[in-house]
Amino acid sequence: MSMDRRSFIKLTAVTGGATAIAACTTSNPENQLIRFVPDEDLTPGIAEIKNGVCPICRAGCGTTVRVMQGDAEVIRNGQHGVMTMSLAKKLEGNPSHPISQGALCPRGQASIQATYHPDRLIQPLKRRGARGSGDYQPITWDAAIAELVTQLDNIAGSGPQGLAVLTRPGASSRHDLFALFLEKFGAQAPIAYELFGDDVLRRASAISFGREQVPTFDFANARAVISFGADFLGTWGSPVSQMAGYAKMRGGRPGIRGTLIQVEPRMSLTGASADEWVAIKPGTEAVLAFGLANALGAKGLAQYTPAEVEKQTGVKAARVERLAAMLAEMKPAVAIIAGAPLAQVNGLSQALAVNVLNTTLGAIGAPGGLSFTPYVAPKRGARSLQTLASDVLSGKGTPVQALLIDGANPVHSTPPGWKVKDALAKIPFIASFGSFADDTSVMADLILPDHSALESWTDSRPESGTTKAIVSVAGPAMKPLHDTRATSDVLLDVAKKLKKPLAGMPDSFDAMLQASVGGDEPWGIATKQGWVEVKSGTRDSGLGTRSGSPEPRGASKPLPFTAAFDGEPGQYPFYFLPFSSQAFLDGSTAHLPWLQEMPDPMSTAMWSTWVEINPQTASKLGIGDADMVEIASAHGSIHAPALISPGIAPDVIAMPTGQGHETFTRYASGRGSNPVKVLAPVVEPETGALAWAATRVKVTRIGEPKGELIRYGGALREFEHHRG
Amino acid sequence: MRAGCWIVALGLAAAVSACTQAPPPADVFTPAHSSTASAVQDFFLIRPAATQPIPFPHKTHVEKAMLKCTETCHESVVKGPNAGIPSVKTCMICHDSIATDRPLIMKITNDYYKKGIDLPWQRVYGFTPEVHVRFNHAPHIRASVDCATCHGDIAHQTVAERNVNHTMGFCVDCHKAKKASNDCLTCHF
Repeated sequence: MSMDRRSFIKLTAVTGGATAIAACTTSNPENQLIRFVPDEDLTPGIAEIKNGVCPICRAGCGTTVRVMQGDAEVIRNGQHGVMTMSLAKKLEGNPSHPISQGALCPRGQASIQATYHPDRLIQPLKRRGARGSGDYQPITWDAAIAELVTQLDNIAGSGPQGLAVLTRPGASSRHDLFALFLEKFGAQAPIAYELFGDDVLRRASAISFGREQVPTFDFANARAVISFGADFLGTWGSPVSQMAGYAKMRGGRPGIRGTLIQVEPRMSLTGASADEWVAIKPGTEAVLAFGLANALGAKGLAQYTPAEVEKQTGVKAARVERLAAMLAEMKPAVAIIAGAPLAQVNGLSQALAVNVLNTTLGAIGAPGGLSFTPYVAPKRGARSLQTLASDVLSGKGTPVQALLIDGANPVHSTPPGWKVKDALAKIPFIASFGSFADDTSVMADLILPDHSALESWTDSRPESGTTKAIVSVAGPAMKPLHDTRATSDVLLDVAKKLKKPLAGMPDSFDAMLQASVGGDEPWGIATKQGWVEVKSGTRDSGLGTRSGSPEPRGASKPLPFTAAFDGEPGQYPFYFLPFSSQAFLDGSTAHLPWLQEMPDPMSTAMWSTWVEINPQTASKLGIGDADMVEIASAHGSIHAPALISPGIAPDVIAMPTGQGHETFTRYASGRGSNPVKVLAPVVEPETGALAWAATRVKVTRIGEPKGELIRYGGALREFEHHRG
Repeated sequence: MRAGCWIVALGLAAAVSACTQAPPPADVFTPAHSSTASAVQDFFLIRPAATQPIPFPHKTHVEKAMLKCTETCHESVVKGPNAGIPSVKTCMICHDSIATDRPLIMKITNDYYKKGIDLPWQRVYGFTPEVHVRFNHAPHIRASVDCATCHGDIAHQTVAERNVNHTMGFCVDCHKAKKASNDCLTCHF
């Protein structure tokens, strides 16, 4: 066979190409990791729907979890590989659940990302570097539990009061187990801290109605709702059930469309849905409530004439009269107060004033009004986080020798004046059960990572949002991906392994859950539908009998009626209003990238923080859109881009909470700024709750836009149109 | 001829660059091909041949052991959209006691099953994400299409090979013949 030069080149090219291709084909990317034998028998491509309980907030929504076969990268016996297993794919609201009613808020939807997060802590860790450095070394579970047992044994000898637990508010068997552990150990009940806690509202309900609880509102049957600062369609209370009720109030009754009046100086998502937005002077909500109650015929409030209300609140007298007439005509009507009006020095007085208005409207226990869900509150210690921090720093009382942290992140969400970080640095031993390294858990000496909510037994006892007494319960939707352990099992294990084992602890967490719903039959229902109604007898179902009265009874000292703000008005001319972020709430969900990229419904801003400034104020201060500004109080200063918004009063500066974490995974660390860091350490005197809306600030332009304000949409169209 | 040479040379360059090019970073999502070469390969239906951990004899299991495809090993196909590839657990249902003295059985027992490691079977059929085909076995099982129609005479072969190229033409011809829907959304959704 003869071959010319051209044919030879061609042939070489073809065979060379084939060789090159063949070389590629040997490295099929499908099988670069070893594959473990699956634990479960699965049918590929067939989805199963399981029940879940949303772990994000206290509302206790029931969810459905779509579970399908998939490949997960896991570590088994120290080997990295792939395993075929059931994996949660999508979360939705449980249609049968009385709170979520088939719906789920975006934060709940995004909570699935906590399970698959690339920065999840996947095994027990022991601190190697300095506290806060984040330098940890992996250890085994046996070593981790032995370490915790040794530390607790030392405290049990020297004084069990030296053990403290810091958690988030909310009622569940997990909280009960922590409380039981501490009780048997001989320590005080857990300390619960959350920036946007409802302690003031609970105390007001206790004083007026005999129930230390957040009320449930019957929006579906109301004709008029007046809300004082409560973002009940966005972030406050039980948003999913409140939204469902609100939808019925607006469009669920042929011929009747309920009215919403929102009283707040900065337009929230709820304010944007309202028929009327009343931009009131911060801290004077009680005066308007009394003014309305007076106009509606309440006794003993004669001094609150419309003219007087106008003088104190800035709301025009004619408007007060019109609102009162509207509430008188549109029965049933109900008033709500939550959020910033309660985060004042006079917060309790403000809540009590709204209780008086509700009593005048006849809303207590009535259809279209408010009621209280039969509920057993979790046990809480007398000590607050603030007193714990100050005691540690001053060396007063029993010194705290060990602190267990379960889900709270107070280093991020307390004002600098509380010195929580300094206090943590002085506590000899800290253990955290969290799944992520955050601003607080990075101070821990030992990290015992919990399973994610989808991998464990979870339950929640909702405080409000439904009139029934229910428990939301769900088993694991999938097997654990990593070498984590359920915190409840760790606690039970430690209780047994202590030198003096704790008597009276339940055998297992499942048994405890089963007992909490009241036995086998309700347990069967609970595991089938994801929730169960708890029969009266197991829980207090009595409704409050006392009615609201202008003279608060039960308060231990005279309550301030007028708001007081930290900062000299001459030097710090603006009221500072941090508000709960639609995506991150207080910041506990800032590590979830879906929520980082979710545009804020009011400003369309994402992946950032911003400062809302009224256009008049901005032009006076020479601040342009997205210019960098400095917010300074007597306690600190932060930088953020300005967002010029007509939905805010000229003397108020607002900022969303949730960003500005020093440590909180790759998505939230060092992103944006944290408004809590300029807050004054002022508290509501009766409850000790942080008065986070009682600080004054000054605003200074510090420079050109730096590209930090990322918006999905452009400017506000309505506002541009209005400006011409 | 000169133009042909250029095409071949380009193909060669593309094929070579496919090997040398680093894979795209895993955190960057792209619906397209990872490289021009992979697009070219895909266009010419050049796909990596599956390399199996053991020369699995389909023939022995079908002819000698009289096993049916859809009853023991690929039983998921009658339950859902995918046939699935059996794990080593399925092998051990029988080979716990049958033919335990054969070298290959000893290999899968000792090297895989006892270590908790599954056989790294590679897929022989399947569509790449780029072609946007979602294949569902269920309607084909309901229509009693024989496995061999799409998978060839695999029952009488040893290691599974791609006997049939699942091109769009192949699917469309059969759908036409059997009067099944040829709407785009039947397969591309």
